[in-house]
Amino acid sequence: MAAKKLYESFSRELIEEVHRWGSMKQTGVSLKYMMEFGSKPTPRNLLISSQFLHKELPMRIARRVIDLQTLPYGLSLKPAVLKVRDWYLDSFRDLRSFPDIKDENDELEFTKMINLVKVRHNNVVPMMALGVQQLKKDLHPKIDYKDLDEIHQFLDRFYMSRIGIRMLIGQHVALHDPNPPPDCVGYIHTKMSPLEVARDASEDARSICLREYGSAPKVNIYGDPNFTFPYVPTHLHLMVFELVKNSLRAVEERFVDSDKVAPPVRIIVADGLEDVTIKISDEGGGIPRSGLPKIFTYLYSTARNPLDEHSDLDTIDLATVSTLAGYEYGLPISRLYARYFGGDLQIISMEGYGTDAYLHLSRLGDSQEPLP
Amino acid sequence: MAKKKLSDSLVKELAEEVKEWGSMKQTGVSLKHMMNFGGSSKNLLISGQFVHKELPIRIARRVIELENLPYGLSTKNAVLQVRDWYLESFRDLRSYPEIKDKNDDLKFTQMVKMIKVRHNNVVPMMALGVQQLKKERPQFDYKDLKEVHQFLDRFYLSRIGIRMLIGQHVALHDPNPLPNCVGYIHTKMSPLEVVRDASEDARSICLREYGSTPEVNIYGDPDLTFPYVPSHLHMMVFELVKNSARAVQERFMDSDDEAPPIRIIVAGGLEDVTIKISDEGGGIPRSGLPKIFTYLYSTAENPLDEDFTTTGAATACTMAGYGYGIPISRLYARYFGGDLQILSMEGYGTDAFLHLLRLGDSQEPLP
Repeated sequence: MAAKKLYESFSRELIEEVHRWGSMKQTGVSLKYMMEFGSKPTPRNLLISSQFLHKELPMRIARRVIDLQTLPYGLSLKPAVLKVRDWYLDSFRDLRSFPDIKDENDELEFTKMINLVKVRHNNVVPMMALGVQQLKKDLHPKIDYKDLDEIHQFLDRFYMSRIGIRMLIGQHVALHDPNPPPDCVGYIHTKMSPLEVARDASEDARSICLREYGSAPKVNIYGDPNFTFPYVPTHLHLMVFELVKNSLRAVEERFVDSDKVAPPVRIIVADGLEDVTIKISDEGGGIPRSGLPKIFTYLYSTARNPLDEHSDLDTIDLATVSTLAGYEYGLPISRLYARYFGGDLQIISMEGYGTDAYLHLSRLGDSQEPLP
Repeated sequence: MAKKKLSDSLVKELAEEVKEWGSMKQTGVSLKHMMNFGGSSKNLLISGQFVHKELPIRIARRVIELENLPYGLSTKNAVLQVRDWYLESFRDLRSYPEIKDKNDDLKFTQMVKMIKVRHNNVVPMMALGVQQLKKERPQFDYKDLKEVHQFLDRFYLSRIGIRMLIGQHVALHDPNPLPNCVGYIHTKMSPLEVVRDASEDARSICLREYGSTPEVNIYGDPDLTFPYVPSHLHMMVFELVKNSARAVQERFMDSDDEAPPIRIIVAGGLEDVTIKISDEGGGIPRSGLPKIFTYLYSTAENPLDEDFTTTGAATACTMAGYGYGIPISRLYARYFGGDLQILSMEGYGTDAFLHLLRLGDSQEPLP
């Protein structure tokens, strides 16, 4: 069973180290920098990169451990949250106990190790979500999502930091790929076509909708097919998939008992000097203005958490993991992905008509990672 | 000549009264309340008495604020002029005796009507004051002057409320009101109709300026009606369509392509009526978006030049469009519990979302 307090199962030295590393200054990297650095994945550069990560990752991870220990309303004591804290602690220990990286062999070993760290943390989001659910059960039923602002802010910081950690690790690991696809530098596609990614993500979303409802509205996409810019396609795919999925659901629900043909979801991909903007518009009936803040919260969720109260937290099988994909943290986390590289996600609705989502992506890529 | 400091004048007593009334609690009214409060003679008396007590409170607050602005804005000539207008109006109200009968109320109504006229040019006058400030401090960016922005937002929002109260009270005396109207409020306003009219007016301006104007396509339920103030909605839609039309014209002026139409959707929900105005005028960069809601960033010329005694009716008509339109439209939207949001897609176009409360039970904001 997960220990309740840090000092019960971890050595005093470790606790002190966590506090020390948790107060060191983090170093942010921009997409542009990652792209330029990774374009020459020489052994020397890989060595430099690993040495940077060897120092940077413990700082970021330690901060999160401290955060997880000091959450309000007793959230820190929920079993699921303790589990996450233990994952972070194990990873911190793995990093700190790894010796100085001096040569190519050290570097390869290190890369394997951080890859395992990444895998260890694969289910942090649903696990934290479970912790939050465990908290909600304890709280007075009258407490509204508005009252738990501190927790929202914590989760935003926490998940944003996680995006950064996983980007750094993933990018480093990917640079070791001997046969990278053309125009790619690790996770970054230097000539990504947003139109293409939007098409793919829309089709994936339509498949989900078809499976759930037996039909799916059309998605019309407008934009310059020749336009490309450097970005991380998986991030964009995730965001567009989430937004289109929501739009399709709204339209289906609205027109399910109607004779009328469901109006298409419309996507516009626009390129400017500063930004690439993707607008996803639906006629799914819209959201009332009073209900709009809720859609970006973590505490308001109508979907069932596949990891419910009764499952043993230590055994999460593959089946459960795969069902976690479509689970209602999509919007707030999509916004974090957008903001990670200096962009944003805004959602505006017309009650009685439909909703528009505006995804702004910074075109220049020179925005430094946010470091909560 | 405008007095520089209140205490320098002979009316110390007035200064104390202003302070006293400026700290009294304001009372807000909702659109619903104004609507249900019709024009019977008993009600007119009650309304007159309410306005008699409420206006000096609101006006005194503004005098105090005008005297305490940052960066020396309070001492600019144009601002002193505005302060004097507010002071005179305060004095007129405070020196008016108790309203006891119909005659008192009629005279009172005449008096507040004149107050409203006195304040007709407050917006451009304040704008002139801000310009005077900018001239002195050219290094200031709109970002540095956050306090001034916040003041102007409060100030203009309060002005909207004062003018609504006065205008509504005056209009209730109309012996032949239009059907379904209670003063300024149309109880069955068709937003689609107002949007059409305002769009046509905006297109005329555009035609005059550029020699051509984009089409405006409007979609919505023609039978949708709700209680609102048509002049407010007209003003906001006119402003937004004017901006859209200009952006589209500027973009397609030298192009062979036909200018794409501006699209307006009018949607009715349970809480809100929402009006979306979309254009393909090329959009605004994300970094430039905050500026459009500021008062300090203005590319247009102020019709009231240094000589601020020229305030003819003709000048008043062009007042709306010299760069204050968007922030003030947003205040109008917020006045009855709504909002105005503008989102843009750089390289493509801009969408403006006007949310209007359908229920009308939102109390006036009282800054």
